[in-house]
Amino acid sequence: MNKKDINKIREQIDELDLKLLYLLNQRAELVVDLATIKHADGKKLFDPSREKDIFVRITEKNPGPLAPDAVVRLFERIIDESRRIERTEVYDRKKA
Amino acid sequence: MIIIMDEKASPDQIQSVVERLLDNGFDVHRSTGATQVVLGVVGDTHNVDLRDYEVMDGVHEAIRITDPVKLVSRTFKPENSIVKVGKVEFGGNKIAMVAGPCSVESRQQIKDIAAFVKKTGTHLLRGGAYKPRSSPYSFQGLGEEGLKYMREAADENGLAVVSEVMDRMDIIPALKYVDMIQVGARNMQNFALLKELGKLNKPILLKRGMSATLKELLQAAEYIMAGGNHDVVLCERGIRTFENYTRNTLDISAIPILKKLTHLPVISDPSHGTGIRDKVAPMARASVAAGADGLIIEVHYDPEKAMSDGAQTLYYEQYEQMLSELKIIATAVNRTL
Repeated sequence: MNKKDINKIREQIDELDLKLLYLLNQRAELVVDLATIKHADGKKLFDPSREKDIFVRITEKNPGPLAPDAVVRLFERIIDESRRIERTEVYDRKKA
Repeated sequence: MIIIMDEKASPDQIQSVVERLLDNGFDVHRSTGATQVVLGVVGDTHNVDLRDYEVMDGVHEAIRITDPVKLVSRTFKPENSIVKVGKVEFGGNKIAMVAGPCSVESRQQIKDIAAFVKKTGTHLLRGGAYKPRSSPYSFQGLGEEGLKYMREAADENGLAVVSEVMDRMDIIPALKYVDMIQVGARNMQNFALLKELGKLNKPILLKRGMSATLKELLQAAEYIMAGGNHDVVLCERGIRTFENYTRNTLDISAIPILKKLTHLPVISDPSHGTGIRDKVAPMARASVAAGADGLIIEVHYDPEKAMSDGAQTLYYEQYEQMLSELKIIATAVNRTL
């Protein structure tokens, strides 16, 4: 593989990274909207059954080549960060 | 803080731990490994009792990553702290020497010893007036009268004074006479006393308890510093081990460990650390080589007749001989004496 090919692939990766970044932020916005409703309904921040459903769903729909536990690990982190923004943007603020 | 779950922890058990952490205001980073789940806890975990999580079902271990102490820690203040007592600086390049009798016995005794201490170039005089003796029938010290004699003797020779207080009640009288207050090994975890000392504007010499871990010593220092008094000098003075040849086992390794963990000056007390006169100088040399910022040594013109701890007290000529040896070692480790 020559240098030109490497650069081309890297450009594609950079493009995908940007798309992922926008998608993750879009997801975070939805999470905050959801948290506002959850909080108003007096529901708790942590919803283990919902998290479980997400993991099952992404494992089933996973086309590969990433292994099922690899996608679970990646989504664990996305969910951990979602929970954090729910707390900082909604739950903690309402408390204060 | 991280929490390591058992290999066989069920999803429900993991969930309860996550839930508890969230309820307590922490964020959680899960990391699912091949066999075990590790929960990374994000937030200020200083006040967390690890056992609260370790007793939960499915938890293998909870580990604190941050220091258990704040103000004392080198993370909080990377550069060495210097504590000044009269002409003496603890924690600078020059190794600080403290010498004197175990107990103040009479006006004349402390006067003679102060003159000798001065002659050797040592500027800080030690001496006990309130004595924490193991037996209630042993000499208990002269109390405030002893402090008065010590102050007179120190003033005549331009020395500063360090002496122990055992009780909160003794602090106020002692303030009139001493330049540095010593907390003895037996009082290292007398938290009521430590809190009072934290309110003072007077340097504190904090000795390690005879069965205290280094973490407990640092936490004791944190008590004083949390009250606002940041002039604390730590002192290794020997710990209880199974070895009974010596009175205590001087933990030389405590010196480099403490120097790494804290910015506070660390000194060594080889007199109590060994309890045997001819072992004092070798352990003093080892302490300086290991990086001690100072030494506190018991010295008397007639140790055989001393009213307390005579067996670990140096004769004048032994102290002078030791100083000349220490000078060479100090140079070898880029310090002065």
